[in-house]
Amino acid sequence: MCGIVGYIGRREATPVLIQGLKRLEYRGYDSFGLATVGSAVEVYKKNGRISDGEAGAAHLTGSTGIGHTRWATHGEPNDLNAHPHTDCSGRIAVVHNGVIENYAELKRQLEERGHAFRSETDTEVIAHLIEEHYDSDLLAAVNATLPLLRGSYAVLVIAEDTQQIVAARDASPLVLGVGDAEIFAASDMTPLLEYTERVIFLEDGDVADLTPGGHYTIYHDGQAVERPIELINWCVEDTRKGGFAHYMLKEIYEQPQSFYETIRAGIDDRARQMIREADEITLVACGTSYHTALVFKYLAEPLCGIPVRVEVGSEFKYFTPPLHGLVIAVSQSGETADTIAALKMAKARNCPTLAITNMQGSTVTRVADETFLMRAGPEIGVAATKSYTAQLAALMQIVNLRCEGAYDDALSHAHLAIGDVLLQDIHEAVALCAKAEHVFFVGRGAFYPVSMEGALKMKEISYIHAEGYAAGELKHGPFALLTEETPVVAVCTPGPTYGVMASNIKEMKARRAPVIALGVAGDTELAEIVDIFIPIPNTHHLVQVLTASVVLQLLAYHTACALQRDVDKPRNLAKSVTVE
Amino acid sequence: MQAVILAAGEGSRLRPLTRSKPKAMLPVANRPIIDYVIEALLENGIRDIVVVVGYRKEDVIRHLNKLDAPIQVAVQERQLGTADALRAAQAEITDDFLVLPGDNYINAESIARIKEERNAVLVAEHPNPSNFGVVVIRNGIVREIIEKPEDAPTFTVSTGIYSFTPDVFSYLQTNEIPDALSAMIASGRRIRAIPADDWQDAVYPWDLLKLNSRMLRGIKPEIAGTVDASVIRRGAVRIGAGTTIGPNTVIYGPVTIGSNCNIGPNTVIMPDTSIGDRVVLEPFTYVADSLIMNDVTIGSHSRIVSAVFGQGCILADHTTTYPSASFIEVGDRVQKEEFGAVLGEGVRAAPFTTFKNCIAGNNVTVGEQKTVVGVIEDGTRVM
Repeated sequence: MCGIVGYIGRREATPVLIQGLKRLEYRGYDSFGLATVGSAVEVYKKNGRISDGEAGAAHLTGSTGIGHTRWATHGEPNDLNAHPHTDCSGRIAVVHNGVIENYAELKRQLEERGHAFRSETDTEVIAHLIEEHYDSDLLAAVNATLPLLRGSYAVLVIAEDTQQIVAARDASPLVLGVGDAEIFAASDMTPLLEYTERVIFLEDGDVADLTPGGHYTIYHDGQAVERPIELINWCVEDTRKGGFAHYMLKEIYEQPQSFYETIRAGIDDRARQMIREADEITLVACGTSYHTALVFKYLAEPLCGIPVRVEVGSEFKYFTPPLHGLVIAVSQSGETADTIAALKMAKARNCPTLAITNMQGSTVTRVADETFLMRAGPEIGVAATKSYTAQLAALMQIVNLRCEGAYDDALSHAHLAIGDVLLQDIHEAVALCAKAEHVFFVGRGAFYPVSMEGALKMKEISYIHAEGYAAGELKHGPFALLTEETPVVAVCTPGPTYGVMASNIKEMKARRAPVIALGVAGDTELAEIVDIFIPIPNTHHLVQVLTASVVLQLLAYHTACALQRDVDKPRNLAKSVTVE
Repeated sequence: MQAVILAAGEGSRLRPLTRSKPKAMLPVANRPIIDYVIEALLENGIRDIVVVVGYRKEDVIRHLNKLDAPIQVAVQERQLGTADALRAAQAEITDDFLVLPGDNYINAESIARIKEERNAVLVAEHPNPSNFGVVVIRNGIVREIIEKPEDAPTFTVSTGIYSFTPDVFSYLQTNEIPDALSAMIASGRRIRAIPADDWQDAVYPWDLLKLNSRMLRGIKPEIAGTVDASVIRRGAVRIGAGTTIGPNTVIYGPVTIGSNCNIGPNTVIMPDTSIGDRVVLEPFTYVADSLIMNDVTIGSHSRIVSAVFGQGCILADHTTTYPSASFIEVGDRVQKEEFGAVLGEGVRAAPFTTFKNCIAGNNVTVGEQKTVVGVIEDGTRVM
């Protein structure tokens, strides 16, 4: 779950690397480090975040270098465990994203052979192994080392007395950016956007030799291979915060556009065919994507009459259900390790597979038979917002396709309703949540996963304990926790559940819990029984799911701001979970 | 030289069009008004630009981020006045600077005239000076500024564009810049009055039509999207990417059409019309002298003349906007104006609706076969 960058070319490497690491910070921000090779290998590494100003102290020379921003897996975050790691002599430096599963055994063998380890990380074994094989040919040394490693890796290696970077990947992402007489390498394309729009997505098992002048050779199984250069249509503006206080707020406000773009992009013919032919759909996803998958279940089962099963990626792998029909993997980054593992199992069982992801060229797109690319653009805030609604845009199109376009009109105007709720003033609700220790989110039907997502957002960025429940389940236990200090956020819109939802709210009010209700504009009856009423536009049910979700995002965001949390980098979290 | 663009105010006299965006972001010839201001500055080589945002600031910031020029943003938390807005930008000011309203059109030549001055105001003649600060000038020096007087002594008004030295901040005692100017005059400072070359403000919604046709005169023809071979085009026409123009459509420029629109077949678009993104014009519809914002759908057999439609309006077939002159009450004034219709965001109209000299608020719904006249409040259902 770390981020790595590499640069070789005509510029001073350090500023390019630091800028790149800042863009990758969403992948981890425990510690960071850089190494360059000028006349010798120089290393600078530091505990803490790169944006905290520490980076200014790095004055490394050379126009070849590598960098790393860490989300700790092996060894706690401190200066020693920060990457890059070097061999005994300090002549070889390595950055690594992934997990080396057999590192303990390798480390024991290396120590027996006299290597001195300085850190507790799995990565350091790679540096020492390369040292053992290094004899002025870095590429050969890396090639000799890789077969010894078990696990996942994307690595960049530099060595003294050679101007070159050797890059290799297996089960961890790595892309190359091809510039003008310069080459970039990074965990994903966001750091590259400023310099080039031409990227190469490396395949598992690829080793790339990057040399000055923009030259590169990619090897697979020892043979030089050609990998296509792809053009990316993201622009660097999308990765800038501009005048917004946080990326998350910027991304919340981008939702009308990203939703519309995803709807307009449509589904390609082969994926269409696959969706039409499915007699059962299983979705695998983690975190926020799991919630969008649940929303899909609540929409697709009643509207299209197709059985839908939703599985958490990390559970699926160990408790694989009997599989049948179409399997859809939902992952913003396309690198979520659990989701990918589940998808591979589905493929092994001969199920047709579809990936819904935001990342062109990501791992999930190579594993799945077909890809439905959502058009959210780069999402930098750790809390998923625009990717959530873009996933819903993709999944709602699947519902619409199975219903012969019955919701064309609702979907093509949904971005207006999303834009509309962004104008909503919710400061009273924010004030109420900000002073609470616990907040409950309740809803019925599709609003149940919407409530779960609302609670997840609240937890992850405001650190307030929050739970999402199906409204009917509240009485089976959690009701005992209701007091006048536990606000309940309830979604109550017209439809078959309106009456029962309204009486649930009255029951909560009877326990003196303050209730914040989301209802359609003009619902004066509901507004009267609750403490705070937040109107959403009276639109189609599908669109209400979106607008209610966006209101809950705003609630979590503004509550976190009121509590002065670091919204874009919540503690302990990283954006994409690329380890299992 | 620096420049501060004030874009924090809502522009409440332009309601209902300012529901989701401030006046500076209202599209004219498919570009927000503030773009023309920024462009005029860049043409004069002024690249150090600070934009003060406030009302619906997210919309403004998102737009500024997309521009090529790097632009700084300062936030005015509460919209107290122009001087208060200027104070929000104070931290960024290190040099002589211009102050410009982000919601008035100004050309590059006007800026060239004032940028060399220290302590000056750009003035222009206006037929309705009572809506502005009236400037009394003697020998090119400002004697007095009278804010929105009932009886104006002259037709010369302030454009709201000033050239200042950084010490102006010590004169900003109240919340309005003209007060600071008066204070400077009182303390013996000489404020020069410089006549503008071309400046235009839109005070009321129907003024946007004039500003729109003015800005359409400058568009460069460019055709993207899919245009059927049988389409007849004349004059300057811009068509955005992803837009489809169906067979036998007639377009007489100057006309600009945004991206991803669906127009025709058999529609007629006459001069001085701007059409935003994702707009649908169904067959046999006629549009002239109008400003149609994003996501508007206009049903077949409609006749739209002298109209401003806010984003997301959905109008069924046989909608008519009927320009006629009548008295319109805006704020505390009654004015005689001639225009067809001004519709806020999300107005819905059933078939055979006629809007006659009408300002309909946001989310107004109109039932079948109604003729709607005058000012209609937000959210009203006309049955």
